[in-house]
Amino acid sequence: MNRKSRRVAIGLVSGALLAASSLAAQQAAPKTGTVGLYRNQQLAPTGPAGKLADGTPDLSGAWLGGGASDADISNPKGLKPGEQVVMLPWAEEVVKHRQSKEDPEANCLPAGIPRGSPYPWRIVQTPTHYFILFEGNIHSYRQIFMNAKHPEDPDPTWFGHSVGHWEANTLVVDTVGFNDKFWFDYKGHPHTEKLHTIERYTRTDLGHMSIEVTIDDPGAYAKPFTTIGRATLMPGTELLEYICQENNQDLPLLSGPARGPGGQ
Amino acid sequence: MRRCDKISYGGMAMRLVLARAIACAIWLALGLPAPAHHSGAAEFDSNKKIDLSGVVTKVEWTNPHAHFYMDVKDSSGNVTNWNLELASPNVLIRNGWKRNSIQPGDMVSVTGIRAKDRPDFGSASVITFPDGHKLTFLAAEDPAK
Repeated sequence: MNRKSRRVAIGLVSGALLAASSLAAQQAAPKTGTVGLYRNQQLAPTGPAGKLADGTPDLSGAWLGGGASDADISNPKGLKPGEQVVMLPWAEEVVKHRQSKEDPEANCLPAGIPRGSPYPWRIVQTPTHYFILFEGNIHSYRQIFMNAKHPEDPDPTWFGHSVGHWEANTLVVDTVGFNDKFWFDYKGHPHTEKLHTIERYTRTDLGHMSIEVTIDDPGAYAKPFTTIGRATLMPGTELLEYICQENNQDLPLLSGPARGPGGQ
Repeated sequence: MRRCDKISYGGMAMRLVLARAIACAIWLALGLPAPAHHSGAAEFDSNKKIDLSGVVTKVEWTNPHAHFYMDVKDSSGNVTNWNLELASPNVLIRNGWKRNSIQPGDMVSVTGIRAKDRPDFGSASVITFPDGHKLTFLAAEDPAK
């Protein structure tokens, strides 16, 4: 190789290296923006969702949102098209008289299913159990028994007894055995121990998950209804601690009828 | 200040995100703090604006809300120790705050709104330091010190 050829070769290699390092820099700097309440977050990626080694869809990651409208579950915009929330008369009376300070969420008690919160959450998948870990409202967890059956007469609890199975790429979670204590929203939509929920989680792409929840409570509602939500992946986010009971100074200061965050 | 335009804490489909953006705009226009574990409208009166200056006496880096306390002297020389509320530490940390972003002894000015039923309790919207840097209910406007 003569001197000129060598210079050309060196130039070509240098150019290729520069281009490669520029591409790597672009790849190393993911786009950022506001996600929920959080600024300068890595935005959710697109692309196909992955699978675990055993072939089941991978739901891992920190997710934000996906719950029903926490302001008012009857808002048609948070319901499957054509669905309506029709309360029985006693439930309507309850909503009219509930006070903000009675909201279990304001008392640092669980928000139940499917009420949303502004904090991230995570699903942990094992062969026998799935766990949903909540950062906040409240800092707690749900357990889902995979391919299992409900007990005959489960004790009523805040999160009920959940069993799960896969239907193609959708995780279906069936829950019974709820107590009647949590509210569906800030407005105080109630439920009874007859509540039965069916959640359908589908990771539609790498960065998003659609969540539909059918709520069937013949004790409080004239017919079942289905809420819709869409969770967003928060890449690079880890759950933080949120012990609501630590310093809840707000409760004595809440007054007036149950209502949404902005008074609606 | 508060970026409410993309709040999707219930994580809805796109049309619901839009509905929330509108609701959020109304809510911010009212000056109410961002949602937490309770209704802001049940606790604070958006018509009772506060504009305080004083010395920070205590900081509580706690849940469900961080709080700081500050001594505020009125024109007669009487001192009131105000209790001012912020978002929760996990929200603040993700938005650039640090646990020592505000400390006892700091001289600050605070705007916000007052609790409906307690005269010395408020929600801090903007905290301004003598060097001009600001912190808000949700975020550090400038890098936290």
